[in-house]
Amino acid sequence: MNTFALEIWYDEGAVCSFYTVRCNPDDDDALSETDRFFETYAVPEHPLEDKALQMFRLITESIGNKYGATDDFFDRVENKAQALPPKPKQWLEEVKDLGINFPLRLYCYRVSEHIVVLFNGGVKDAQSAQESKNLSMKFYEAQTFVKKIEESLQSQLIVISNDGRHLKSFDGTTDLIL
Amino acid sequence: MRSKTVDRLLKSTPKDVEIFVDLYADLVVRINQILHEKDLTRKDLAEMLEKKPSEISKWLSGDHNFTLRSLAKLSAELGEPLLEVPKKKAQTEFVEDGFVCSLHTFVSYTKIEANTAGKIWQIAEDTEQSNELSYAG
Repeated sequence: MNTFALEIWYDEGAVCSFYTVRCNPDDDDALSETDRFFETYAVPEHPLEDKALQMFRLITESIGNKYGATDDFFDRVENKAQALPPKPKQWLEEVKDLGINFPLRLYCYRVSEHIVVLFNGGVKDAQSAQESKNLSMKFYEAQTFVKKIEESLQSQLIVISNDGRHLKSFDGTTDLIL
Repeated sequence: MRSKTVDRLLKSTPKDVEIFVDLYADLVVRINQILHEKDLTRKDLAEMLEKKPSEISKWLSGDHNFTLRSLAKLSAELGEPLLEVPKKKAQTEFVEDGFVCSLHTFVSYTKIEANTAGKIWQIAEDTEQSNELSYAG
């Protein structure tokens, strides 16, 4: 994977800011991974539009504006590689489903209760993400994003702002290319 | 700051979807809070409800849609109200910092021990108030 931009997706909620990744950092018009997810499913006439809008509301209102990124709203994504010791400090997660057989999965990485990085996702149509044709590529991409973000945080190439709501580069700039 | 997609979806999400998700999230958070406060595990709750632990996990992990019946059972076993329906419309409305604030009063009823004369219902002394905010534009 080449470099990617880490940028704000939505930070207007009262308690939690959301970042996303954009794979073409030189192209300002390119859609971020999370926008690509919602522009695929949360569009008129798509059979999963209602589900995508539910997920959007959970993210922007319940997590972003009301409760923050608490354990109530996230499920850890189990993966054979991740389960092997040494266990990583942080895990790839997915936004919790809403209701029976909720079909959509959106991968994310919780930096704190006040900062979450959202990636892409898809439809889960098999028992595991790896077996799900629509999800497997997004799953492995998300793992790669998490690894790079986690390394950058540990080496303090990127740091959390004083107010705890934003990420910035070690030199104080907000242009984050990893 | 928000992406163009976020901007579009904030404007186009139907009100009923917003209400459903907000209620769902509130319920999941509240049930988890009560379990924590009462030092109960999901296994304990399953035993109280005579359900399989996997069924309780489904409720709390979002794999199961709540029904009024399941909420009533949960509320009865946990001994805490989970849903409160306002008796009437907002009593007071005022504008502050660009928001229309509605002040609601909810009355909570607590059943007390019945005496020989029959059932007595007592209005709880403390009533809960909540403020509902909606953006006035």
